[in-house]
Amino acid sequence: MLILKNISKRLDGFSLTDININIPEGTYYILLGRSGSGKTQLLELIAGLNRPDSGELWLNGENITGKKIQDRNIGLVFQDFAIFPNMTVSGNIAYSINSGKVNREQVNERVRNVASELNITHLLGRSTHHLSAGELQRVALARTLIRSPRLLLLDEPMASIDASLKDDVKRLLRRLKSRGLTIIHVTHDYREAMSLASRVGVIHNGRIIQEGEPGEVFRNPVNKFVARYSGVKNFFEVKFRKENGEWKAVGNNGMIFHLPGNSYPSQGVLIIRSEDITIWNTNPPLQTDNCLRGVVREILPSDSGMEIVVNAGNDFYLDVSSEMFKRQPLSGLSEVWITFPGKAVVTLKEE
Amino acid sequence: MDRNGPFRWILLIFSSLILLFLVAPLLGMFMKTGMREFFETTGDKEVRESIWLTVWVSFTATFIFAIAAVPFAWLLARKSSPLKKVIHGIIDLPIVLPHTAAGIALLGFISRDSLLGKAASSFGLNLVNNPGGIALAMALVSLPFLINSARDGFASVPERLEKAALNLGASPARVFFTISFPLAWRSIVTGFVMMFARGMSEFGAVVIIAYHPMVAPVLIFDRFNSFGLSYARPAAVLFIIVALVVFTILRLLSEPGKKAVVKNEYADS
Repeated sequence: MLILKNISKRLDGFSLTDININIPEGTYYILLGRSGSGKTQLLELIAGLNRPDSGELWLNGENITGKKIQDRNIGLVFQDFAIFPNMTVSGNIAYSINSGKVNREQVNERVRNVASELNITHLLGRSTHHLSAGELQRVALARTLIRSPRLLLLDEPMASIDASLKDDVKRLLRRLKSRGLTIIHVTHDYREAMSLASRVGVIHNGRIIQEGEPGEVFRNPVNKFVARYSGVKNFFEVKFRKENGEWKAVGNNGMIFHLPGNSYPSQGVLIIRSEDITIWNTNPPLQTDNCLRGVVREILPSDSGMEIVVNAGNDFYLDVSSEMFKRQPLSGLSEVWITFPGKAVVTLKEE
Repeated sequence: MDRNGPFRWILLIFSSLILLFLVAPLLGMFMKTGMREFFETTGDKEVRESIWLTVWVSFTATFIFAIAAVPFAWLLARKSSPLKKVIHGIIDLPIVLPHTAAGIALLGFISRDSLLGKAASSFGLNLVNNPGGIALAMALVSLPFLINSARDGFASVPERLEKAALNLGASPARVFFTISFPLAWRSIVTGFVMMFARGMSEFGAVVIIAYHPMVAPVLIFDRFNSFGLSYARPAAVLFIIVALVVFTILRLLSEPGKKAVVKNEYADS
């Protein structure tokens, strides 16, 4: 278990403030934040590259706050991999165990084992100068894993990787996760958190602003920043009112949302995830909580198919799969209906 | 004439004049030295001993001081201190100091009356008029070349590589010898060669510390002073040739480092 207690650190023009995180053993923890939010600095504090100004770091019941980097046995894979250019691939991998304490045969065997696990056996005798980013990353991982670290820290592992290799890397990271290794993975991409994390922390301006299971964090973001960060594009400032025992939210331009539940503040911000909105090119046959008529304003290709912007009083952003788009073709300015259930409308706790 | 017009020609003329200024005196000296005089000088025991003394004392001084100066250069590249600018100023001081003044300062430091001189005397060693004193004089004026070059070399090694090595459990000493030093190797060798060369050519500081035994620059000056230009010239030519050969060999020896892949710690044997 890794525990960060009230960690604060002042850096040049920036500070990490009062960071409190508990990460149980075997957790795949994703620290999500924009560049400059302090996520890499936090990783470096955990690894021991920097020391906190205040607060404590505990790993498996041991206070490691003042412990030297080399004595922590916390593996850190740098964003740029930090591969030693003066050594071959095997030299890099063997570096941590090649200090004379382990005999040469054992060193060779351990290098071969970890290289085989990461599918880089064919690279062992090569210089590191002409390796691809994907290969360098595997070498950096092998170099770290050969030590059997107590904790593995990954700084933006997907950032330097070609899109075509990202799935391979994800599979590899899932395999490490299944081995029960505690991993902290820093990224700016919420999709990585969705597909890998068992727990997520969102960091902004040097503070952890929300933490929890990915589903919970992305379903119920605490504020606009987390919502926007987790891919939400539909935000509406509303006033809440109760009519005939039913809660409604009224937007600035009179647009009305029908809401479930029994308690709302007087005003607030609503969010609706793009994937929760359904689009129809005819009046929808089924009765739903919310049905709005609008006009298609824009159609843009997206990762999952098409992103469609519909103006129904306000702009609504929604995702349509390629198959759905083929079945139900749309064009600019065509009249459409959008529907979404009341439970898809989430009220933010903070502005 | 191309698009750059007269400016390009002015640059070419200036560059040629500077190169001519650097090469012409040496060429003139070589051309005025007859083959007979030159071979007579190579057979002159006094000249040969003087050149050998210059080479080995300068090399030894460079090697011994490098043991402390190279780690010091790493420290300068990596650590920040409010006194850093002052320290850099102190390191560069010998470059701006008149070398005879440096020699006089050193003489006061190592003469028999001084603390170091007394300590050396207690071991039966008199640093004045001694290769030990010559080595100190050479080192005093040439150390900045090694320290500055090694410091630049260490500064160009990404600090992340050192941190990655520490993160892999290596001790700071192991990180220095397996990462920092091999990656800064070329700059260190360049600094070493520069210090060695500067030590060999030193006259001002050395002549104050030791007129005898004569290092080559002192011998050339002595011959010029006593017998004239034509007698000093062949010794100067021989010394230049020896220096060129030594530096070429050192450069060639340091060439493998150019590939930046030094011998691996681990061989897949």
